Amino acid sequence: MKITLPHLGNVYLAAKALFDGLNVDYVIPPLNSNSSLEIGSFYSPEEICLPFKIMIGNYIQAIEQGADTVILTGSCGPCRFGEYCEMQMNLLKKLGHELQFIVIDSPGDIGIKELYNRINKISLSSNLTKYEQIKALFNAVKVMKLIDEIEARAHYLAGYEKIKGECKRVLNSAKRDALNCNNPTAMIKLLTSYKNKINSIEVNTNINPIKIAIIGEIYTIIEPFSNLYIEEKLMEYGVSTKRRLTPSWWVKNTALVPTKLNSLDIKRGAKEYLSHQIGGHARECVGEAVLAYEEGFDGAIQIFPMGCMPEIVSKAILPQVSKDKNFPIMSLVVDEMTGEAGYVTRIEAFVDLLERRRYNALSRC
Amino acid sequence: MKVGFPKGFLYFKYYPFFKNFFNELGAEIITSEDTNKKILDEGVKYCVDEACLPIKLFHGHVASLRDKCDVILIPRIMQIRKREYICPKFCGLPEMILNTLPDVPRAITTPFYAVSASKLYSFAMEAGQEITNSKAAIKRAFRTAIFEQNKFKTGIKNENYSINVALVGHPYNLYDNFINMNLVKKLNNLGVGVITEESINDELIDNEVKKLYKRPFWTFARNSYGFAVHSHKNKLVDGIIYISSFACGIDSVIVELIKDNIGESPFMILKVDEHTGEAGLDTRIEAFVDMLERRVLIENNTSSLG
Repeated sequence: MKITLPHLGNVYLAAKALFDGLNVDYVIPPLNSNSSLEIGSFYSPEEICLPFKIMIGNYIQAIEQGADTVILTGSCGPCRFGEYCEMQMNLLKKLGHELQFIVIDSPGDIGIKELYNRINKISLSSNLTKYEQIKALFNAVKVMKLIDEIEARAHYLAGYEKIKGECKRVLNSAKRDALNCNNPTAMIKLLTSYKNKINSIEVNTNINPIKIAIIGEIYTIIEPFSNLYIEEKLMEYGVSTKRRLTPSWWVKNTALVPTKLNSLDIKRGAKEYLSHQIGGHARECVGEAVLAYEEGFDGAIQIFPMGCMPEIVSKAILPQVSKDKNFPIMSLVVDEMTGEAGYVTRIEAFVDLLERRRYNALSRC
Repeated sequence: MKVGFPKGFLYFKYYPFFKNFFNELGAEIITSEDTNKKILDEGVKYCVDEACLPIKLFHGHVASLRDKCDVILIPRIMQIRKREYICPKFCGLPEMILNTLPDVPRAITTPFYAVSASKLYSFAMEAGQEITNSKAAIKRAFRTAIFEQNKFKTGIKNENYSINVALVGHPYNLYDNFINMNLVKKLNNLGVGVITEESINDELIDNEVKKLYKRPFWTFARNSYGFAVHSHKNKLVDGIIYISSFACGIDSVIVELIKDNIGESPFMILKVDEHTGEAGLDTRIEAFVDMLERRVLIENNTSSLG
């Protein structure tokens, strides 16, 4: 059994730590690129959303490297993501690939026993004891948390750095070196040292950079390829960005959902505009926009794939938030046809607008 | 008191309930006109661009009602079957409207769960408070409304036609004749009978759905899939027509699932949006019917390859 999983931001590092720790055979698909998107959109139904297409590209590229099992999380919310597993299974079967899917679904829907069976499929392929397996899982979560922290810090400090491009350089070398580690404990040690490194970057505390919150659909904001590396671009412009939704946030949030204690601040922020959970991360999107305003950000950028049902609802609400709080919010829709030049122009224009609002009294006319 | 009731979405399935409930409470129900060009234009003007046609039309209906009533009913229909949803946009519909349309009167946006009598009753209690304070009156109105709703049956089942098609899709696309441009009438005129999902037993749908790896969590997806696959397997129809609104997330999934499970059976997807031209639609329907006629009447099921 050779396990693979679709890409989602930096999750591949945590997955690598997990599989190395479990001592099972695995393939990390090549990082997302135009070729994975091309393969994916060639085989996928036309109307499905962008994440589906990129994921199909990942699977096919992983199959080329010998993968035969896919791990995928599921959901039973009203968003389309929950149906991905069934459609992707059928699609790959039609293409003649015998791929086994292990769908980690919520126990409320498939039953705790079935969930246990599915997880067992993975753990049986490892020859380690249960204790060591659980330890590997904890190590993987630790890796995920560390890389998310490093990334968040780098994105935020990019506006303050003294040597231009320092944050980006440290972040990229952290990712590159982590991928070369073949041992979870070594990876944790490496990432901890990088965390110290990023925290000790020389900063100029006198400047007050433009701060933008990145909000929207979870896949398109976490996976840098799908949003045309927006965070990297903003780092180059010397803009500080903050994104609340990260893989480690997702893990924590999902674990806390039964207790209803998950993301209380976001819920409070969204209460005035969208008080119900409508699926996907629409409520989070609205809540984050309000929180970004309260935290003194200059603006927010919402990103979602074309046709995303929950985000269309939040897109309808955001102009009202923007009007009430006098807080600029821009919505960007991405799909496989998004052209980079037009996209960059919009981002630049938005950053310009935020700068002028701050320094120019005209905005108060 | 005048309660506005927009004629969009699940109006076509549940209007007896809402109408009788508010009438019994002593309110006057004002429904919007049948969907027309003016309503469409109003809807397109206000609604967020990415939304689907039915959402835009609903915005138009609310816009046309807003100065004619004191309270407007924007049903937030969350669930009509257990552990199933309709669509994320349904759950957030009131917010979408209240945040984009200006000058909307007070709105009733109580979440509507039709999964059990007690859940429905709590909807009635909360929504009824907007009209009257008498709990007894609400209870009485609720009973009448449920009684009337249960008497009401939707669904089309034409008989005595030599060719029959299954008409599949969301109810608000099937029963709003502006959206589907009188599709049923057109098919009947061409000598084709139509049957819809309501004409087969719920258990038959369940049997089909059980075979899927993942239980569909959208009620209409479940119905459409179960009905289409069942009618194909049992040869109830000669072909299947699916009406889908452009950019509908649910349809993008369900059409694929149906395609995978009906083999070579004739299947046509009619995409509708605010630009759909009637002539093009007519041509496609005629071509599809021609094809069905040849399959059924002339070739008599022999292979075209000889």
